Amino acid sequence: MKAVVLNGSEKGTSILDGAYKSILDELTALGWDVESFMLHDMKIHHCLGCFGCWVKTPGICVIDDAGRDIVKKVIRSDLSVFLTPVTFGGYSSELKKALDRIICLISPFFKKINGEVHHKHRYDRYPRMMYVGVLPRADAESERIFNTLADRNALNIRPPAHASGVIINNQSKKEIREDIQTLLRMVEVEK
Amino acid sequence: MKSNGRVLLLVGSARRPRSTSESLGTYLLEGLRKRGFETETLIIPKIFGSDEARNALLAATDRSDILLLAFPLYVDSPPALVIKGMELINRHRHAGQELKSQRLLVIVNCGFPEAQHNNTAIAICRRFSQEAGLDWAGGLSLGGGAAISGRPLVKMGGMVRNVIRSLDLASDALAEGNPIPREAVDLMSKPLIPSWVYMLLGALGWKRQAKRFGTRKKLSDRPY
Ligand SMILES: Cc1cc2nc3c(=O)[nH]c(=O)nc-3n(C[C@H](O)[C@H](O)[C@H](O)COP(=O)(O)O)c2cc1C
Repeated sequence: MKAVVLNGSEKGTSILDGAYKSILDELTALGWDVESFMLHDMKIHHCLGCFGCWVKTPGICVIDDAGRDIVKKVIRSDLSVFLTPVTFGGYSSELKKALDRIICLISPFFKKINGEVHHKHRYDRYPRMMYVGVLPRADAESERIFNTLADRNALNIRPPAHASGVIINNQSKKEIREDIQTLLRMVEVEK
Repeated sequence: MKSNGRVLLLVGSARRPRSTSESLGTYLLEGLRKRGFETETLIIPKIFGSDEARNALLAATDRSDILLLAFPLYVDSPPALVIKGMELINRHRHAGQELKSQRLLVIVNCGFPEAQHNNTAIAICRRFSQEAGLDWAGGLSLGGGAAISGRPLVKMGGMVRNVIRSLDLASDALAEGNPIPREAVDLMSKPLIPSWVYMLLGALGWKRQAKRFGTRKKLSDRPY
């Protein structure tokens, strides 16, 4: 089973280190084949909003850079983990530069879900998705926004399972490990 | 005429030559200019790439009394470069100097016809304003942004009447130093066209564009 971990930390910061290590350790211990990406070290152009990935080269972004490789790894994985400092309740710009590029994984055509318009799937199968945010200190409002954002993303991509959670930077290693284990159970990650 | 203060419009869409974010932001900016404000516009995706450009963003922010941030919804939240801009402004505002009192108004437009898709992005902007010490003037949310597709609102007739009324109310409120009223928020979030028409026209639109690229039969390809 393949897992892809996208690390959205800002260069020169260490707030994600504990959660990142714990995610890699837990997945490896479960026998997963893990590939991780430190996004701040990668040149990924921002999405141009041109919809070329829907109409010009369907399913492939028109920008030929590492953003394309990441999208390919995500759709071919069984689990994709998105790790980010919780930034105003949402994702960091580093994680978001990669996430904005993944709309080529869905179809341009529409479908109604719970009375709201969304897009149809492009692929038959999608990876399970796990969203992990880290905050410097407890902040209920940011945490609420983060979990809502993950749920909204999941409603648009509709992965077979998804989970989200926020870790506080001063948690002990043990607490972080337990939180990660809980999230992995929620996305039904087994050996 | 005495200046009422300075307004900076930050456009967060990379779409060229025109974006719906720019149509909405420009209309509001013009309204504020008529109400005695000095105005300035920066297209965020144009200014990233060099240190000078970042400094220009921060300098323009510093000299403004009101920030208008207009952007498209990307993956249920602000686009990467808009978040980058927020990160920079937040850090800059906490970098030691005294916090200047500034107001923030946000306009988000999304592709799906229901404006409620923008709720999380508005919540993120509101959180940003709290963390950066900006006064939250409010968030306007529009669904079905493709129906505008970057055209100037004044040339669009009846379809955008609620959008225009909303932005006029927002100008009045900002000029009086008030947060934007509930009525402006409600008017902006009214559907431009019924959702089934939007879905139909949207699907036709994708097919028409695909024809131009010779990809009509490939729209559902699975390259990976
Ligand atoms: C990368 C990307 C992600 C998008 N995600 C969403 C979304 O989550 N929900 C939505 O309703 N529209 C989404 N859209 C559609 C845009 O918000 C919509 O096309 C908008 O009208 C563009 O505005 P602009 O002309 O100001 O760029 C997305 C578009 C792109 C390019």
